[in-house]
Amino acid sequence: MKNPVGPILRMGDEIDKVVAAIEDDNPGKEIEVIDRGSYVRVQAEDRITLTQQTLRAYLGADYAIRSLEAIMSSFNGRIITTSDSITWEKVSARRDALAGRE
Amino acid sequence: MSLLRREEWQHFVRDVDWAFSYVDDEAVYPEWHSGTGKVPREAWLKWEEDYKVTYPEYVATQREKESAAYAVKAALQRSSSFDTLDEGWKSSTKMHFGGIALVEYAAMLGELKMARFGLNGAWRNMATFGQLDELRHSQITTFFGHEFVGKDPQYDWTQKTFHTNCWVPISLRNLFDGMMIAPNVVDLAIELPFTFETGFTNLQFVALSADALQSGDVNFANMISSIQTDEARHSQQGGPTLEILVEHDPVRAQWVIEKSFWGSARAFAALTGPAMDYYTPLEHRKQSYREFMEEWIIDQYIRTIQDYGLKKPWFWDEFMRGLDTWHHALHMGLWFWRPTIWWRPKAGVSKDEREWLREKYPNWEGVYGDKWDVIIDNINANNVEATLPETLPWLCNMCHLPACNPTQSRDGSWRVRDWSLKYDGKTHHFCTNACRQIWWKDRDNVNHETVIDRFLAGQIQPMDVSGILGYMGLTPDVMGDDPDYAAWTKDYVGRSATGLALAPAESEES
Repeated sequence: MKNPVGPILRMGDEIDKVVAAIEDDNPGKEIEVIDRGSYVRVQAEDRITLTQQTLRAYLGADYAIRSLEAIMSSFNGRIITTSDSITWEKVSARRDALAGRE
Repeated sequence: MSLLRREEWQHFVRDVDWAFSYVDDEAVYPEWHSGTGKVPREAWLKWEEDYKVTYPEYVATQREKESAAYAVKAALQRSSSFDTLDEGWKSSTKMHFGGIALVEYAAMLGELKMARFGLNGAWRNMATFGQLDELRHSQITTFFGHEFVGKDPQYDWTQKTFHTNCWVPISLRNLFDGMMIAPNVVDLAIELPFTFETGFTNLQFVALSADALQSGDVNFANMISSIQTDEARHSQQGGPTLEILVEHDPVRAQWVIEKSFWGSARAFAALTGPAMDYYTPLEHRKQSYREFMEEWIIDQYIRTIQDYGLKKPWFWDEFMRGLDTWHHALHMGLWFWRPTIWWRPKAGVSKDEREWLREKYPNWEGVYGDKWDVIIDNINANNVEATLPETLPWLCNMCHLPACNPTQSRDGSWRVRDWSLKYDGKTHHFCTNACRQIWWKDRDNVNHETVIDRFLAGQIQPMDVSGILGYMGLTPDVMGDDPDYAAWTKDYVGRSATGLALAPAESEES
């Protein structure tokens, strides 16, 4: 994978559901999951997004997306948090966009 | 009542960079603390964090993290899980508790400095959360370590380490005072959040948690990976700072990253390398130290640096070669000078373990095998005294770690090099070329005296091993020893041996 980006989730019973939510929110995107036991790398090329709405479908109607922080030990790329979504993208994406390259 | 979305109100309460009318900007943000340098003051108006958090969100999430961490601890309180842990793994945790607990406190001081002198309201806001994070880390680490003091006095060094003059905390104080206490906030944001917390802490707090869980230490794995969730957030102060600095002063940005990268790499070779490749029981090792470094530093961190428009550090080749040697040499040093440390270093060189080391590090046997063989044969000849230190290693004048790094000569042999430098009437000795060059470029910065400097200056009396152990605060109940000599020497019992030191009794007879 050329520019892998995405969260690194720590041990817990929510990991599979978060991965499923990421897959739902990024249709057609190859999502790679690397399981190291106490942590799981979830990554895709260049950019992935996760929404509160999809997380709630898996983790309950009152799940707040801010709670993802409690299981995200690290991440790859630049993270952009809003009140209802999280996006991971390659660090140079903003610079490339400003330069009109993308 | 529906609440406003964060995006609709956060900038009103966070962006508080009003114009001062009674004092100059310089009085509020003095250069020696705020460190704008060649960056125009107004350039900092663009500083914006990507990982946005509000105070209500912060306290709610932190409460969830704390509840989860302490719930696991409480659940395991009455179990016998601690007693079943391997002594080697326990050493990894002792090293972590003592080596990290008060570094977290120093990091809190660094975050407070950014919370006060950061050049943008958003930055100061993020650093305020960062200092609360680091206070949490210092508290949770000392508290979790304290639980075991009654079972093993070495855990008392969780709190004690940084109040002693042991050579390990002196080395770490030198690194972290330079990274967290001394710098202005621009350099600090790049050294601590960006280089150390985006790169290296992942190795000790996430990668090592994989070995912890495999080793059955659920509590420790849970604690360190919980800590790193805070780091993942507040480390994001580094990116926006770096973007602005790269735009206006890329030479400074490159230098600050290189200096802190090198210092971190040296420290982690000593702290994390032996824990992963020797102390963790063979059957519980997830990956080698080198493989974890490749995953977290070589691939992930370097790609990030390059995405910000910076180059690989100039010492890259020397660093990459060191991945196969530094931590093996430091492990041997830690084991040999074991009375000077507060954990029980496991040698970890049984036949099976050596096979694993050879597989992961093809040069291992050629560089280290014969040295360990001499030690093994002395142990099997019942001459442990020959494996104990009577002299001191030279400690590098930059990283304060033993100067013990072998490099390969043109004829194929491996030799430990001395990189020396004469300056101001004194000859300084370094463990690597990069330590020498960084010291030279940074020579006016704070540099602690190494234990060897103190020894040679007569500050340590009496001038022998007992004097230095006393100076370092090591008492007989705490000083390290191998937890199980037979575990790694029994494979070799009965073989013909060369290079044996004569046992004291035999010397008297001869």
